[in-house]
Amino acid sequence: MNQHINPGSMRADDGIEKGGMLLHVDNISLSFGGVKAISDISFDIKKGEVRAIIGPNGAGKTSMLNVINGFYHPQEGTITFRGEKRRRMRPHRAAKQGIARTFQNIALFKGMSTLDNIMTGRMTLMHSNILAQALWVGPARNEELAHREAVERIIDFLEIEHIRKTPVGRLPYGLQKRVELGRALAADPALLLLDEPMAGMNLEEKEDMSRFVMDVNQQFGTTIALIEHDMGVVMDLSDRVVVLDYGQKIGDGTPDEVRNNQKVIDAYLGVAHD
Amino acid sequence: MLYRETGDFSSTYAADQQTFPIRSERYLFWTAMAFAFLVVPFLVNDYWEKSVLVPLLVWSMAALGLNILTGYCGQVSLGTGGFMAVGAYACYKLMTAFPEMNMFIVVVLSGGVTAFVGMLFGLPSLRIKGFYLAVATLAAQFFLVWIFNKVPWFYNNSASGQITAPERTIFGVAVTGASAPPWATYLFCLTLVFVFAWVARNLTRGQLGRSWMAIRDMDIAAEIIGVQPLKAKISAFAVSSFYIGVAGALYFSVWLGAAEPTEAFGIDKSFLVLFMVIIGGLGSILGSFLGAAFLTLMPVLLKNVMVGGMSWPTDLAAHIEIMLVGGLIVFFLIVEPHGLAQLWRLLKEKLRLWPFPY
Repeated sequence: MNQHINPGSMRADDGIEKGGMLLHVDNISLSFGGVKAISDISFDIKKGEVRAIIGPNGAGKTSMLNVINGFYHPQEGTITFRGEKRRRMRPHRAAKQGIARTFQNIALFKGMSTLDNIMTGRMTLMHSNILAQALWVGPARNEELAHREAVERIIDFLEIEHIRKTPVGRLPYGLQKRVELGRALAADPALLLLDEPMAGMNLEEKEDMSRFVMDVNQQFGTTIALIEHDMGVVMDLSDRVVVLDYGQKIGDGTPDEVRNNQKVIDAYLGVAHD
Repeated sequence: MLYRETGDFSSTYAADQQTFPIRSERYLFWTAMAFAFLVVPFLVNDYWEKSVLVPLLVWSMAALGLNILTGYCGQVSLGTGGFMAVGAYACYKLMTAFPEMNMFIVVVLSGGVTAFVGMLFGLPSLRIKGFYLAVATLAAQFFLVWIFNKVPWFYNNSASGQITAPERTIFGVAVTGASAPPWATYLFCLTLVFVFAWVARNLTRGQLGRSWMAIRDMDIAAEIIGVQPLKAKISAFAVSSFYIGVAGALYFSVWLGAAEPTEAFGIDKSFLVLFMVIIGGLGSILGSFLGAAFLTLMPVLLKNVMVGGMSWPTDLAAHIEIMLVGGLIVFFLIVEPHGLAQLWRLLKEKLRLWPFPY
């Protein structure tokens, strides 16, 4: 299989070596009124790794992802992505920079077919103007066909050929999750944020999804940030793990280090907070 | 045996993406179009033109426009009547200011003016959604009709406050005014509707259409994968208003010939077009045509049956007609909430297997 899903339209190379710093989160604090969702968290994501973010419910994992892709604006701290520092930005800017994500509760476009959903994922890579689109001539048509080919490769990869033209609202849960991964992959992301990709799946579906996540990471070299509750999956898939609890970072390191961290064990098994 | 997909395989993405991927469907469509363009003009008379064909085409155009906004982009609008008025008055001003201008250009420019006005009234959609947006567009409806009544410049200071379409020709044949032959006005409208329906199809199957549908289905997710809500919503308002403006221009110049804003472009027109879109099928080009056909042809048909066929008094027939159309609307919405287009889709599914369903 090709190294990239669509070599022709790959984003400009950022010059970061594999293992170099892709994303740096510095002293991020986020609160909603009086509720502190995240307080003073720093960690980094290296290019080419699978970085898991774990923690009990309400620890601030999803908020962290929302900060990274610009949906929430933190009150303090900065995010450095591919050497570019920022605090506030609109989500579609983050998408343009190469951050794609999936959602905890599936957020597909229910009225559209699988194909259209994944094609929409290529939004930031398509540039033909409205007039050419209206007349369906030259550049717009060729662009559409070129991207269709890239999308078909994703459909192949995720083994969802048979539901290509089905409206996603009619698909079962497991397949919807897969389509959503496809939509995120279609953006040719530099950083892929997966918010509980295996939530609510049975064992077989989990194994399939794990395989896809590993393949994406290894074949395409995509950096992945993963939120997941299934510890078996987390420990097997990830290179490094960051652990959050009550909006604070309580552990960071390889799966083995995290597993033996007393604070993490306390957070998961529960001790009285003082 | 009109509908067969057996043996139809597409081997390129281009073939798979065409509007009618199934051969028999493609043939059926082009046969119908050839009939509409080449045969109907020879048959059409004054009655068919003024009561059936031109109304059908004008309302199809308006329904297409509203369907782009409401069906594809999910923004409810009750300002259709007002935007049609903008198209009509722009058309009137252009016709009187530039008598030499080709009618095609006049109508398209009227659409352009309406697109601009639509964009302005679409700005609130960035902040408000659903019913609240509908109320905001209602303001557009009342404001626009009011201003066309109030400012004499729009109706060239005519004493009656009406606008009247002067005679304009294309290739020496009148398409507006009292002496325009039925076949010419019919072909004029048909050409515009055909071209712009094709454009609507292209826009909705391309990247712009997908960004509209993404905003409709899940606006937050759409923004996160890179759709700019501002661009998607405002472009939907612009394109939609363009179509409605063209419909308004045709409505005034070709169909009515003379118009007075409160009467011709009232709130009832906004609702009529909205009903067409809902009954025809939201988010479907075919649905726009089916909805427009249902709401323009059904009353004509009922009237002909009751007055012509059963020789009832006209006033009784008119009342029963309103009741029957209302009842039919309710019936169709209960049978198929996704509109006539969905009904057609289901029928095609059945036809695939007919006459051996197993």
